[in-house]
Amino acid sequence: MKNNKPNPLTLLGRRLKNTSRKLTFRPKEAATPASADGATMNAAPLLSDKIKTTINKLTVQTKNVRTYTLFDGTTVLEPFSKTPLIFLILGTLSVISWNVTNINLFYLFSRFSNFFDILWRMTSPRWSYFSTAIGPMLDTIQMSFLGSLIGALLALPVAFLSASNITKNRFVLGSTRFMLSLIRTLPVLVYAAILTLAFGFGVFAGTIAIILFTFGILSKMMYENIETVDLGAYGAIEATGASKPKAFVTAIFPQIMPSYLSYSLYSFEINIRYAAILGYVGAGGIGLLFDDRMAWRRYQDVAILIIMLFVVVFTIENISRYLRKRLS
Amino acid sequence: MIKFDKVGKTYPNGTVALKEVSLEINQGEFVAIIGLSGAGKSTLIKLINKMHGVTKGTLTVNDTVVNAELKGKHLRAFRRRIGMVFQSFNLIGRTSVIRNVLAARVAEMNFIQSLFGLYSKDDKIKALEALDKVGILEKAYTRAEQLSGGQQQRVALARTIAQDPSIILADEPVASLDPITANQVMKDFARVNKDLNMTVIANMHHVDMALKYAKRVIGIRDGVIVYDGPSSEVNESLLKEIYGRDITDEDIMFKDDEEQQA
Repeated sequence: MKNNKPNPLTLLGRRLKNTSRKLTFRPKEAATPASADGATMNAAPLLSDKIKTTINKLTVQTKNVRTYTLFDGTTVLEPFSKTPLIFLILGTLSVISWNVTNINLFYLFSRFSNFFDILWRMTSPRWSYFSTAIGPMLDTIQMSFLGSLIGALLALPVAFLSASNITKNRFVLGSTRFMLSLIRTLPVLVYAAILTLAFGFGVFAGTIAIILFTFGILSKMMYENIETVDLGAYGAIEATGASKPKAFVTAIFPQIMPSYLSYSLYSFEINIRYAAILGYVGAGGIGLLFDDRMAWRRYQDVAILIIMLFVVVFTIENISRYLRKRLS
Repeated sequence: MIKFDKVGKTYPNGTVALKEVSLEINQGEFVAIIGLSGAGKSTLIKLINKMHGVTKGTLTVNDTVVNAELKGKHLRAFRRRIGMVFQSFNLIGRTSVIRNVLAARVAEMNFIQSLFGLYSKDDKIKALEALDKVGILEKAYTRAEQLSGGQQQRVALARTIAQDPSIILADEPVASLDPITANQVMKDFARVNKDLNMTVIANMHHVDMALKYAKRVIGIRDGVIVYDGPSSEVNESLLKEIYGRDITDEDIMFKDDEEQQA
């Protein structure tokens, strides 16, 4: 008790240093109210010395500052802004990447007519193709729905294990987080390509790819969410003799449920778009048809696929947005 | 019965919270622990349900020795018989009051039941009765975060009652409440203590309230018990010994409210 009593002076000095980064107040005369008070005369010189040295240090550190003088003579120093520096760095990086990727503006404009040519051919869709495309489209929706659902369900227990405020065992924490990072490194298309080798072409491989993707991002989002919740209720339930998992589902679930459902719906939205291209690597769904029709240059059929995809994505996005609004 | 036999507690960082404490608390007592912040009040309470482990001496609670060997399944079974009320209420804000009270039954259920919140009818009746005992039955289906501080602390007390413990530990139960509400909550504690014969051990900052509601007072200073006796015998010189200085009217902030109420 006696040993760790903090010295009020050092505390004040520390606080001054912390705040002074944003704003520095410099009274013209260092007349603190304490020095005027006779009772605290002993502490006063020390206190003002401390303030003076802190301010001196700061004025040396930040030279490029603007000074504002208030009506009563108090001056406020505005610290040096980092924004120009950030713009400079961004500009340099843009120039480098422009040169590396060989963007040729002339080529871009000369070939742009081709793009419109293809678009023009799409303006007369072959509506009879719809009946062929509807099956794979439903496959795509199923793939993304089932993948999102299973991925989201798997994500919760893993999020529990990788939240540092819940799991105190460093080995468990480290290994689950490492596994999650590994899972997140590969893009969903690469997963689908590898999984088709294992499970054969088709919807099954696509679903597994989407499960892995959803699981990877959702568990990260959720464990970060869990780390911000209030642990009071969790501790109280644990104190009644409930095990950690039980205390977690009872006390933490109600707190994270809205954001969990919202994130899950959001990943379902994203997954519909991913599921649409998985067919390119043979993992089923509407992507197979895209690949096929583009290769045969049947742009009227491609138009049908695009219209269908547009309608589906638009509908699901809106339903999801509506539901997420209701949740928050 | 709770028995401290030369119990000491040193935290891993070297802080000695309790030096050597010996005391006995019988079933059904209402004990208030008073003393300065950092004197060891909180530590004393948290040793009883092993939120912190004893580092010296022997602590026995209801014939169970609370030592390092008490862990896992046995510790959880032991804790079911000890309720705890916190200064910050620690309710699950986003759920209804009754679900908060029912949360005390989770320890007795299996995981699937707790995952889906499948509480039995008996549990629900038990929870409602607990809410009735603290006088907020009509708030059963309100969201907990919509209640006032005093009401939230009553829900916390109801949760503890629903747990059906033999001992209730209260760590500064009224420290964040206004004086009038604090008195009402303390009355609830006293009633529960009397009607249900549950031992109540409460840390108190407010000396006057400790003396008013508890029959026995334990004064702690620097990790040592300096007074242990009936609250009726606590006088100013004793308080001076516990707190290290005179307790003036200024310190007893509820005196005026009390007189107004009376």
